[in-house]
Amino acid sequence: MSSTSQKHRDFVAEPMGEKPVMALAGIGEVLGKRLEEKGFDKAYVVLGQFLVLKKDEELFRDWLKDTCGANVKQQGDCYGCLKEWCDAFL
Amino acid sequence: MSQFVENPAHLSKFRLKSDLVAHDVALPPSKSKKEVYVGLHLQHIGQKNAVDFSSDEEDQVQDVSDKEEDTEMPDPSGLTDDDLKAALLELGVKAGPIVASTRALYEKKLRKLLQSNGHGCLNGVEKGVLYSDSEEEEENGEEEDKELGSEGEKEETVKQSDQAQQGSSQFPSGSQSVMPDGESSMSSQAFSITRMVEEMESRRSLSTSSDTEIELNGSNVQKHWSRSNRLDMPIVDTMKNQSLYYTPKASPYKWKMKLTQEPVKDTFKDMFPNTDATTTGIYATRRRPIKGAAGRPVQYAYPDTPVSPTTLEKREVERRLVPIQIQILVFLIVMCLLYLIYVCVEDNSFGPSVALLDSLYQGSDSEEGLLLQAETQDVPALSGQE
Repeated sequence: MSSTSQKHRDFVAEPMGEKPVMALAGIGEVLGKRLEEKGFDKAYVVLGQFLVLKKDEELFRDWLKDTCGANVKQQGDCYGCLKEWCDAFL
Repeated sequence: MSQFVENPAHLSKFRLKSDLVAHDVALPPSKSKKEVYVGLHLQHIGQKNAVDFSSDEEDQVQDVSDKEEDTEMPDPSGLTDDDLKAALLELGVKAGPIVASTRALYEKKLRKLLQSNGHGCLNGVEKGVLYSDSEEEEENGEEEDKELGSEGEKEETVKQSDQAQQGSSQFPSGSQSVMPDGESSMSSQAFSITRMVEEMESRRSLSTSSDTEIELNGSNVQKHWSRSNRLDMPIVDTMKNQSLYYTPKASPYKWKMKLTQEPVKDTFKDMFPNTDATTTGIYATRRRPIKGAAGRPVQYAYPDTPVSPTTLEKREVERRLVPIQIQILVFLIVMCLLYLIYVCVEDNSFGPSVALLDSLYQGSDSEEGLLLQAETQDVPALSGQE
């Protein structure tokens, strides 16, 4: 099992509700701001995009990179976080 | 590219579009008719009627190659949603809903697939077309330095590095044994590559701008790749040697595919230039502690990793807070008791005080005994007072 961050564990532990987008693993202040500017102000909006892309890793990573300039690690963290959340709650 | 455009009306719509892009002309809406493109083409690029008669044959070859491309629908942005989905399906990609937010991604994917297909189909055509002098090379700087040893597959890597150089210094448009005739087939690739390169450029401009004198051969190209790639892709240096021969668009995806199996190594390398962005408390050095190593007992099932000192302190404080509350409660209860006793003693009325004391102290069988004792004590006390 690869090591997960505390942020990841916190996010995956419960339904996301109205958590802000910065609660996602891999999304810090800078990336969170950029996402909010694009209209993705809540974590569930990013979840929506993730689901529309049919949970495809490559597409979601590309989308993240294009939207907020996330690097590979951040992309991976965010994807893993959302995927695990979906596995648990969706 | 354009010197072979003798009559725009004879060209395919796609070719017109790519020509316009190459000349930095704003494209009309993607579903416009061909006449719109022809008009724009004439307007901006002009019509060169039979400048080189000798190029007629090559021109026809270009058209043939264009038509070959058209059958593959190489213009993803001109397709409708359904067409785009069908095109992806043909290439074996089962696409999800194509909505506003996903369309760009699927177009990119289609382009990438077409490029990788196009390399296989169109290389023969490109190499068949011989080089000739080209007049308007400034705008097509990305294709200028193909002569320097790259053909076909390598052209895009050259284009990439050239684009960076273009930002700083323009190349002379003379002395090229370029294959401008291959431009028609490569224009489709140029179309997407220019976009890609623009992205790379914007990132490079943010990070390094000292790539003015990059030679295309040897290590410099590798360095160039390393700088540009380090921005968003964790690529081990050794892989770049091989990557020179791949298209820049395809190779990142290939690398990513390879790297998904090795997230540890690459993320480690990638983290260093990007520690600023990550504020999630993830540190590269903190991993799961080895059992019993360095005297560390195995305490938790979870790896005890990314815990900053402040959170440790908070947890300790939290552990203490609960007992503190209990202590305060107990203290208050004791204080109340003592206050009651004091009040009762002050009253000098032993009856109620004794009753209160009894009620406070006892609830057991010995209560009667105490009452008796109290009464017996009261009697001598009262008698003493009198």
